Amino acid sequence: MRVQVKARNRSYEFESLPGEKLLFAGLRNEIELPYECASGTCGTCKAKLLDGQIADPWPHAPGRRYLKADHGEFLMCQCAPQSDIRVEIASFVNPMSARACPPRAFNGTIRKRGMLTHDVMALEVALDQPCDFDAGQFVALEVADVPGYRGYSMVNFERLARVLAFVVKKKPDGGVSEWLFRGDRTGAPVRAFGPLGRATFFPGVEKNLLCIAGGSGIAGMMSIVSHACQEKHFGRYHGYLFFGVRTMQDAFYLTELRELAQQYPDRLHITVALSDEDVPVDAASRHPGLHFARGLVHEVVAREMRGRFDNVRAYVAGPPPCVDAAIRMLLLEGKLSTDNVRYDKFS
Amino acid sequence: MASSNKTMVCRVADVPANGMKECVVECGQKVLIANSGENYFAYQAMCPHQEVPLCEGLYDGNVLTCHQHLWQWDIRTGAPMGLAEAPLEFYNVEVADGAIYVVSPSALNQSELFTGISETTLAQLNGLVRREEHDAGATLYCPGDSVEDLYILESGRIEFLVGRSDHASPAGFMLRKGEVFGWAALLDNQPRRIARATCLEKSSLLRLPGKKVLAILQADPASGYLVMRRLSSLIMRHLAASGPT
Repeated sequence: MRVQVKARNRSYEFESLPGEKLLFAGLRNEIELPYECASGTCGTCKAKLLDGQIADPWPHAPGRRYLKADHGEFLMCQCAPQSDIRVEIASFVNPMSARACPPRAFNGTIRKRGMLTHDVMALEVALDQPCDFDAGQFVALEVADVPGYRGYSMVNFERLARVLAFVVKKKPDGGVSEWLFRGDRTGAPVRAFGPLGRATFFPGVEKNLLCIAGGSGIAGMMSIVSHACQEKHFGRYHGYLFFGVRTMQDAFYLTELRELAQQYPDRLHITVALSDEDVPVDAASRHPGLHFARGLVHEVVAREMRGRFDNVRAYVAGPPPCVDAAIRMLLLEGKLSTDNVRYDKFS
Repeated sequence: MASSNKTMVCRVADVPANGMKECVVECGQKVLIANSGENYFAYQAMCPHQEVPLCEGLYDGNVLTCHQHLWQWDIRTGAPMGLAEAPLEFYNVEVADGAIYVVSPSALNQSELFTGISETTLAQLNGLVRREEHDAGATLYCPGDSVEDLYILESGRIEFLVGRSDHASPAGFMLRKGEVFGWAALLDNQPRRIARATCLEKSSLLRLPGKKVLAILQADPASGYLVMRRLSSLIMRHLAASGPT
């Protein structure tokens, strides 16, 4: 199907494959269409249909609350062209930067799953072809039994990865997550589209890193800190990683975090923030090299980082209220400039 | 809101120092009032990016930040800062007897191209303005037409097409009050239009003769320099072929 996108600054033409979401078709053609969650919740990818037919398999997507449906607006991440179409996007759209990893569709298989806590799972997906991504990026995953894509951040970081590792939190009606938790899905086929997301770390960032994660938001931060360690970033700059969970029972990756901290004991500072219980007296002795503090993660960051916000690049991930509170704190208390606050809201 | 319409929006007591409030004026239109501690400012209530209410954003008395994608503006001018790609539409504010009134400025005063220039020069430019209204489908100019006027959008939507009419391709569109087009009128050696400009909906716009604009700017080089710097970034932004680096 032929697609014409009329943006504020210019127009683009490209082909979409049968059933392919318009957003994915555009990104695959290296056009930086606007998006954030790529899974129907944020409304960022809205466009206006000028002519042609589209299929909308999820008419109740939460992101539709940002649309004027009577003006022909729709979500590009949900809808697939069914004929040649023309659409309008009321923002500037540029070609993808030359240094970005161009996203595309992958087929994969669930290789391994293991429980990290009572409601958090580690998931590994083997891909049919190698995937290049930047630290902090995510992919949209779809499983055959549960239609619709969901975003998951990569935990690992390597070039030309054949396996992507994810953290999946059990959610009451979380479609894919519920399906994963209901049985052993090893060997099940998945479709993936990516990499996606702009909250990425590049070794050229000459700044101290501040990573703030709430719950499963730790996934992308593991990737960023791993990449920064590989690049010896903490040989010159400080790293501060704050991992917010409710209780010690909800904390995971503590061994992996300790191994990272041990590589740069003077420069990489990792703190686990507990919102719902006091820090157990034996926490520090059981996890040498890690710090523990009581409070919501953004409060702990504000307290611990006071006087250390200079020359900082912050990355934030987690549930939306946690991300919003952290961003507010970084801008108002940390006085960070907005280009030093990186996040992708997709949960 | 009609251009000279002075409308009361709220009481000064409703907007605390370093605080802001969304107010509804006539026809359900919303205006954001911000108090910097010394002055009150009035802006469009919704973020120009994704139509998020700005009153839900962050404001420290100097800088307003939309919480959704962290676009920021200088509260004194509405000028974009950091990641923001567009200015805020502002209203002139008057305070009398404990009440705040807003007045909608002209599209020329609203235009990013002329922000910050001297009041005298701005007044002279306003003296050149001819206001026009066009129906949807009207063509303002075609490739090959001689270049005379600079246009400023007041309301509506204008689309541009480049190339000959049998295989013309869309080259963007304008939809914000104060957006400038037909800028060839301010450039040397650009005597002919290279695009077709068409109204996608009923539109009103301001026209200013390019040569007279240049003569006024020439007499006030500080303002002229500002305008030319803005013009070059404007052109770059519309022509940019590569993505953000």
